[in-house]
Amino acid sequence: MIGTLVVARRELSGLFMAPFTWIVLLVVLFINGLLFSSFIYQTQGNVTASLSESMTGPSFWLWMIFLPALLSMRLVAEESRSGTLEYLLTAPVSDAAVVVGKFLAATGFLALLWSSTLIYAATLDYAGGPPDWSAVIGTWFGTILVSGLFVSIGMLASTLTSTPLLAAFLSMVSCLMWLAIPFLASSVMAYLVPLLTSTAAEQAALVERMGSVVASMDALRHFSRSFQMGVLDTAEIIFFLTWISFFLFLTARSIEARRWRG
Amino acid sequence: MIEVAHLTRRYGSLLAVDDLSFEVGRGEVVGFLGPNGAGKTTTIRILAGYLAATKAERLVVAGHDVQRDSMGVRRSIGYLPESVPLYPELRVEEMMRFQGRLHRMERQVMRRRIPEVLERVGVQDRGKQLVGTLSRGLKQRVGLAVALLPDPEVLVLDEPTSGLDPIQRGEVRDLIHSLADDRTVLLSSHILAEVESVAPRVIILHEGRKVADGKPAELAASLGGGGHVAVEVMGAASAEDMATLIGSLPGVDSVATGERVGIHQSFQVRGEGDLREDIGALAMTQTWALRELSWQRPTLEQLFTRLVTGRGLEDLDGPASSGAAAAPSPLLEAEPVDPPAAAPVLAAGLELSSGPAESSAPPLGTPGNASSKIIYSLNPFDRGASRDLSKPVSVDAPPEAVSGEPDPSDGDGDGESAS
Repeated sequence: MIGTLVVARRELSGLFMAPFTWIVLLVVLFINGLLFSSFIYQTQGNVTASLSESMTGPSFWLWMIFLPALLSMRLVAEESRSGTLEYLLTAPVSDAAVVVGKFLAATGFLALLWSSTLIYAATLDYAGGPPDWSAVIGTWFGTILVSGLFVSIGMLASTLTSTPLLAAFLSMVSCLMWLAIPFLASSVMAYLVPLLTSTAAEQAALVERMGSVVASMDALRHFSRSFQMGVLDTAEIIFFLTWISFFLFLTARSIEARRWRG
Repeated sequence: MIEVAHLTRRYGSLLAVDDLSFEVGRGEVVGFLGPNGAGKTTTIRILAGYLAATKAERLVVAGHDVQRDSMGVRRSIGYLPESVPLYPELRVEEMMRFQGRLHRMERQVMRRRIPEVLERVGVQDRGKQLVGTLSRGLKQRVGLAVALLPDPEVLVLDEPTSGLDPIQRGEVRDLIHSLADDRTVLLSSHILAEVESVAPRVIILHEGRKVADGKPAELAASLGGGGHVAVEVMGAASAEDMATLIGSLPGVDSVATGERVGIHQSFQVRGEGDLREDIGALAMTQTWALRELSWQRPTLEQLFTRLVTGRGLEDLDGPASSGAAAAPSPLLEAEPVDPPAAAPVLAAGLELSSGPAESSAPPLGTPGNASSKIIYSLNPFDRGASRDLSKPVSVDAPPEAVSGEPDPSDGDGDGESAS
């Protein structure tokens, strides 16, 4: 536990000492600010809708594909390349502590980035346009979970290669695929289901089952179903936490595999 | 402190470490030696817990089993990989604090220990500098400081001097020397002089196997049969003659005729004990001008090459040609003849081309300097300071017999072709 925090702390301080981080912060905050003010205009001053749009709209998902990938690519791949991974993996901390520590740092950074919307909300509240605070905080909490999920995917990609850029690319593609699962699944199902079934009843049953499988991986829907409403549904939290733990587990295994591969 | 028994490590089909066993006692300094790819780094990484062993009967470091209690091992060793991994964006002190935190050191202990360790490695004034801006040598020191911070019982250093300039290398070597007093140190290197100077005991690895283990001097003695006497003389007799003469000394096992550089002929004499005095006395009686008479211990490098390539030491020293039995008859001729020539030599300069030498040399195929009637002076003040000592001084005009060329280089050329 202490090891996790030590690693997370170093990772965060390392992040904030790199110019890369500040440039990302500057660019993202600037563009988000512009977008937010345009949302305010579009919704004619509906504060809650604008905040929700800036944390759940297409711009958010676009950031979500790039930023976790860019952050997580350096977590393992870059350390592996510079040799510091050897230092970390021979230090008296477990692999799990290293993985979780790094994960917490990257997710924490994204949480900080998205907390900019909380500042917008607070500013508008002060200026006389009170937002629906429960929805805003719920959505913010949701963004952290989504960030965590994507960071964990990115970390797994980062352990698979020692080229940071390739890791980032892999992670972006995986995140994109993850988001596109429902669309991909429906097109695949439309083609496959008639081949596998004969009667209409069977067909309906199969579609339903596959639909439930797909739904269990549909991050977008899980995200919008609860957090956006300002409801903290434990089922949704568990959905994200489960997937995050799954990918972190794979990451830790992948790092352990290095000890065998050499 | 370190016990390794039957350690094997494979990378796929490549056998990196093959059934390696060794032990390092408390307070010992052991050097791992081997060419690149011998399995040094792999072994060290396994001991440090970075790599897993494919198979090992026993792997114990500082009382902890490497395979079962990796954390215990990691807590009690200071490991510095070859690449000296430090976070470039951190300052030296921050890097040290990170290491301290990873080792669960208390804040007060760290506050006391960090300046102490930095001073020990001689970078106390660099605490605020970014690690990324340090030079290679300083980085190496900081890396050592990081490894030393938790005061480990065992220090494992992988190629601690690679990539350093000779001065830095010496400094790091001294540093390791000073650290070795109270710790068990295992270090690796492919630079043999380095290991020789730091570690009283070396383990030589080749293709994953241990090929030698012991003190460098003992290894040299057991593998190379001690050293040899290097002799470089200038004499009237031919190389073969001289070799025969030297070979006839009591205790000499073999005489290898070495290169002929200019007018000087070198030999490598092997035998029981130090034969320098005997050879010196022989040179005196034969009126040979000695340029070198030294005791040569085989270097670890030669041993190493020998172990690795399987060639003999004699082969490595140079062309091996034992000239002891090459020309027995001129020996009898030369021996009684040469001493009389000593008298004029000792008086003024050294006359080499005495009558008998002239008569004996041509049949042996070394007519060059033997027949050119040149007087060499060994006294640099004899003929004024301006004399070029590297060139023989010709006093008499060369006889017509030598193809009309008085140039001493002619003699040199002949000499070389003869040897």
